[in-house]
Amino acid sequence: MSDETGGDVLKALANAEARVARQEEEIEALRAELADQRIAKDVREALTAAAAAGTLGSPVTHSQLLRMIIETAADVIDAESAVLLLLDEEGDELVFDVTFGVEDEEVRGVRLPIGHGIAGLVAASGQPIAVSDAAGDSRVAREIAESLPYVPQSILCVPLFYNDRLIGVLEVIDKEGGRSFTSRDIETLGAFARQAAVAIRQSRTHQNLAALMGEIMESLGDESLDRPTMRIEATDFAARIEEDSAYRQSRELMELVHEVSQYGEDELSACRSLVESFAEYLRTRTHPRGDIEPVR
Amino acid sequence: MEPVLPVEIITPEWAWGGSSGAGVKVAVIDSGIDADHPQIGGRISGYIGVAERDGVIVFDTDPHDDAYGHGTACAGIIRSLAPDCELYSVRVLGPMLMGRGSVFAAGLRWAIENGMDVCNMSLGTTKREFFAVLHELADLAYFRNVMLVTAANNAPVPSFPSVYASVISVASHDRKDEDLVYYNPEPPVEFGGLGIDVRVPWRNKGWLTVTGNSFAAPHVAGVVARILGKHPGLTVFQMKSVLSALAANTARTESAPPSGPSAD
Repeated sequence: MSDETGGDVLKALANAEARVARQEEEIEALRAELADQRIAKDVREALTAAAAAGTLGSPVTHSQLLRMIIETAADVIDAESAVLLLLDEEGDELVFDVTFGVEDEEVRGVRLPIGHGIAGLVAASGQPIAVSDAAGDSRVAREIAESLPYVPQSILCVPLFYNDRLIGVLEVIDKEGGRSFTSRDIETLGAFARQAAVAIRQSRTHQNLAALMGEIMESLGDESLDRPTMRIEATDFAARIEEDSAYRQSRELMELVHEVSQYGEDELSACRSLVESFAEYLRTRTHPRGDIEPVR
Repeated sequence: MEPVLPVEIITPEWAWGGSSGAGVKVAVIDSGIDADHPQIGGRISGYIGVAERDGVIVFDTDPHDDAYGHGTACAGIIRSLAPDCELYSVRVLGPMLMGRGSVFAAGLRWAIENGMDVCNMSLGTTKREFFAVLHELADLAYFRNVMLVTAANNAPVPSFPSVYASVISVASHDRKDEDLVYYNPEPPVEFGGLGIDVRVPWRNKGWLTVTGNSFAAPHVAGVVARILGKHPGLTVFQMKSVLSALAANTARTESAPPSGPSAD
């Protein structure tokens, strides 16, 4: 083998090695991306189910749902604690609603004016922001961590939007192992926040609906209702219906519609017209199966 | 207007060699700028505080500071890339969320109508009712050669004006090179700027290490100011062509070192 050929072989080998290294890098990146997508899918399914369950009157309460959301957020991002702040009715203050890994009594109900702390900044700019050396500059640190019971090492804060409106912010604190939050974390938490906002809003609507039902029952007067019997019947009904396959099917359908509705009003209305057209087509078929009466 | 150049000629040396952004007016549409911060060095060419009082938009040209630190961070990044550009603080982020969309639109309109060359917007609104007015302003800016550099929203909710074709929309990259720009062939986000673990000036003369598209946009705004310092009168579409030709990931520069192609 001449020197020249040897050189060529070495060069080819080096090229091949470089190519393999590059491919490995690409595979690793793809793997990470897949893992992210899986997390996002799991979270989406869990929250969609929770939201659907909420509207169907499952025992998951509004505050249980909020707790579940921030625990999941902290878990997904590997953060030691998390807090959820919701915008108040007037829209100029954020209120600490639920916390994870932080003593609830210390911050719960604390009101943070917009423009204070990193949470107030994220609410105002609508942009997610991560701070990685929060404790580095003590004066700045105290300011950005305003209302938190301690000054964290790192913070990642994302806005919560329902449709086009800001409803609050989600803050995860102190990445495990003293690391910084990454841009991947920002994306994951951003996607998570969208699902969480839908779940929160729908659960709140349900909460209002439950209160409304209560008021209606009150207004009907005592003599017309046998409350204890009603409650037992309602419980029995709830247990029976869980077994019912038609209920399960419609629940699955409902979850699908919920998922579609998260993409916006246009998507929901497209979904509605698709289903309506299909129903319309079925009505016009000459031999309807069974003896189904068309519903108008 | 300069003639359109073959892409091969567009190198960093051609684009901004010798330019410090002098003569370029850059508006930071944000929470104000803390002029006393050493990174800003007191050099603010103008202040416009925009607010809404009783349904009326009011403009205040008295010097103001930074309510959050966010605007100072953006201004500091722009200054580090284009040290001699003229910075204008257009304050639209105040202590209230109410009326923020209309205050934001008024601030942007002021910048377009008062001779700004570049506007940095590390913020946006998701409210649909501002879609049309901001779209109209973005088009107006485009036709007047005002470069609107906007932070793309990481959240999967469209944020205006970052989703319009007439703006330079920026997401984050993590290569520790502050004038390195990436081109993204999958819009609406068209460019990438340094936005991961960036050390930025904050209010009260502080410093902070932050991550977010909010900090990627001013890196690209700084590069744009530097380019305009050398090539005044470039149109927005020419600027986008220059940025994509300089981008670290375009075909021509793919094998180049991280700092982009070397000067010819």
